[in-house]
Amino acid sequence: MATTMTSPARSGAKTRRVTARAVEGQELALAGVLAVLWLVLSLVTDTFLTTSNLQNILFTVAPIALIGIGMTAVIVTAGIDVSVGSSLAVAAVIVAKLLRDAGVNAPTALLVAVGVGAVLGLINGVVVAYGRIHAIIVTFGTLNLFRFISLRIFDSQQVTGVPDTLEFLGGGAAGRTLGVPNAWWLVMAVGALVWLYMRYAPTGRHLYAIGGDATAARLAGVQVERRLVAVYTLTGVLVGLAACISIGGGGLVQQNIGTGLELQVIAAVVIGGTSIIGGRGTVLGTLLGALLVGTVTSAVTLLQWPSELTALFIGIFILIAVGVDLIRERRRRSR
Amino acid sequence: MSHSVTDKPTQAPTGADSAPSQAPRRRIGVREVLTFLLTDRVALLVVLLAVLLVWMNILDTGGYLIAPYDLAYLFTSLEMAVPLCILALAELIVIVSGRGGIDLSVGAMVSLAGMAFGFMVGEWGWPLLPAVAACLVVGAVLGAINGFLVAYLGFPALIATLATYYAYSSLALVSNDNAPISTQPIQDLNSLTDPVALPFGLPSVPMQVFTFALPTVLLVWLLMNRTSYGRKLYAVGTNDTAARFANLSVSWVRFRAYLLSGLLSGVTAVVTVAQYASARPDAGTVGNGMALPAITIAVLGGVAIAGGIGRVGGVVIAALLVTWLNAGILLAFIGSEGSQYQLFALGVVLIASALLNTYMVRRRGGT
Repeated sequence: MATTMTSPARSGAKTRRVTARAVEGQELALAGVLAVLWLVLSLVTDTFLTTSNLQNILFTVAPIALIGIGMTAVIVTAGIDVSVGSSLAVAAVIVAKLLRDAGVNAPTALLVAVGVGAVLGLINGVVVAYGRIHAIIVTFGTLNLFRFISLRIFDSQQVTGVPDTLEFLGGGAAGRTLGVPNAWWLVMAVGALVWLYMRYAPTGRHLYAIGGDATAARLAGVQVERRLVAVYTLTGVLVGLAACISIGGGGLVQQNIGTGLELQVIAAVVIGGTSIIGGRGTVLGTLLGALLVGTVTSAVTLLQWPSELTALFIGIFILIAVGVDLIRERRRRSR
Repeated sequence: MSHSVTDKPTQAPTGADSAPSQAPRRRIGVREVLTFLLTDRVALLVVLLAVLLVWMNILDTGGYLIAPYDLAYLFTSLEMAVPLCILALAELIVIVSGRGGIDLSVGAMVSLAGMAFGFMVGEWGWPLLPAVAACLVVGAVLGAINGFLVAYLGFPALIATLATYYAYSSLALVSNDNAPISTQPIQDLNSLTDPVALPFGLPSVPMQVFTFALPTVLLVWLLMNRTSYGRKLYAVGTNDTAARFANLSVSWVRFRAYLLSGLLSGVTAVVTVAQYASARPDAGTVGNGMALPAITIAVLGGVAIAGGIGRVGGVVIAALLVTWLNAGILLAFIGSEGSQYQLFALGVVLIASALLNTYMVRRRGGT
C-alpha cells in the first residue's frame, strides 16, 4: 500500500509542468489504494465483488459524493460548509411532506428540493462573502438554524408513508440504469461538469485564486464575493439533490436525517486530496475519496467487524491521505 | 463572573477589540458608552446577560413560563454549564494558539476518557483519586496525539482533529461493545454532583461547579494571564513567524495547547460520568456532540478564529449566557419545542455576535 501511494508522487515531481495535469499524483495514489482494497476484499470475502454489494456501495456514497462535489469547490476557496447535514434535513422534510400531503410529481419535487437547497446555500454564501465572517462560524450558526427550521417543519414527528415518486433515484431496482444506480449516474454527470468548470472555465480557475490568496485575487480583478456566493449556492443545490436521493423509494424520513453528514463529506473531500487551506483540490479526488469511505464501510460490515470500527478506519485514512500530501508538499518546496 | 472584572485591565493589550477601554476618555457620553459596550466583548456579554435575566423575569411575572425562572432554577441549571464551560476553555486555548487552531475531537476525547474512567472505577475497582488522575492522563495523551499531528507534523488542525474525532469516538464505542458502564461504583459517583447548600438563604448549587468548574476556570485564567506560557501562546497565535524570531519554540507551545485541550476534556469526562451516573461511550459525540457547542461558546465569548485573541472572562460569561438562555427557553415552550428553539437561539446569537464584531472592527477602521 505504501509503495502505491508514494511512487506516482515521485515520478510526477521529476517532470515540471506549468499547466495542471489531468490526473494528480494524489488521485492516482488514491485510485491505487482503492484498487488494492477491492482486490484484497474480493479475495478475502466472497460477498464483496457481487453486483448487489457494489450497487449498494455506489448508492450509499452517492449523497456524500454529490455534496462533496460542491464542498470541494467551497474548500478550494479556503471556505468550509458544516451546515450541509442540516440543510439536507430541511430539503428532505419539505419534499417528503409535499410528496405525501400534496402528491406532487417527481419534477416538481426535484425543483423544490433544488430551490430550497439553493436558498439555504445562498444564505450561507451571502453571509460569508459580504459579512466577512469566517465560513466555519457562519455555517456553525446556520447548522443550528437550519436544523431548527427542519425540526419545526417535522413538527415533532417523523414523516411516514412517503410515496415512491422519487424511486428512480432510490436504492431499489427502479433506481438503476444499466445496473448502476441512477444516483451514481447523477454524481458522475454533475462531477464531470464541475470538474470541467473548475479546470477550464476562467471563473472556475478564479476559485483556486481566491483560495490561494483572496486579496491578491481581488486585486487581479476576480469578483471574490460573487464567486463565493456561487460556490455556497452550488453546494446548496447539490444538497437538495442529495435530499431527493435519501428520500428515494419513499417510506420513512426521520427527524435526525443528515446529522453528522458534514463530517463524512469533509472526510471524503480531504481524503481526495483537497487542501483545507484552500487553493488546491479536484472533484475527481473527492469522488475517489467518497468511494474509499464507502468501501471501508462495506468492508467492515462484510468482514463482520463491529460497525463502530468504520469511523476509526476513516480517521486513519484521513491521516494517511493528508500526511502523504504534506510530505509531497514539503519535497516540492525543498526541490 | 466576578473574575471577568479583574481580568479586564490585564487582558487589554492582547484583544484588539478591547483597545478603546485603554484609550484616554475625554468625556463619557451616551456615544462613548455605546461604543465601549459594542467593542468590548465582555461588557457586551454582561449587558446581554442582564437583558436576558430581566426579560425572563418579566415573562415570569407575566405568567408566560411553565415554571418559575428564579435563582434556584438558575443555580440548578449551572450543571449544564460545567461541561460546556470547561470544553469552551479548551477551545479558547487551542484557537488562540493560531494557524487555524481548532479542536473538533473534544467530544470524542470526553467519550473515550470517560470510558477509560468507567473501566477504572466501575470494572477494575480503582479508588476515586487515582482513577481521576489516570482519566486526566488519558485525556492529556489523546490531546498530545492531536498536538503532535498539528504542531510537529504540520497537519491542519481541522483535519487532524477531524481524523482523531473519528478514531477516538470509534474506539470509545468499541471499547465496551457500544454499551455504557453503570456498575454500582459508577452510580455512587453521582454523589459528586449533589447539590451543595449555600449560606445566606441562597439556593443550592450543583457540587461540580465548586469542585471542577471554578478551579478549572481559575487555573486556566492564571495560565493565560499570569504565566509565561500564556504570553507565549498569545504571541504564537498572533504571529508565529514573529514568535519564532523572538526565539520561542512555536511547535512546543502549540503542542501543549492541544495537550491542555485533551486534559480539559479528561476533566469534562469525569464530570459527565458522575453527572449521568454512567460512563456512556457516546457521551461527547451523540447528536451534534460537545465540540460544536464548545466552539460556538468560545466564538461567542470573543475568541477570534484567526488566533491570538480571546479572554477567559468572555468565554465564561458566554457559557453562562448560553446556559441560562437555554434554561429560559425550556420554560417558555412546551415539550420538544424548547430544545428546537435552543438551536435557533444559539445560531442567531453566534452569527449576530460575529457580524457585530466584524462590523465594529471595520467601522473603527481597524482593518
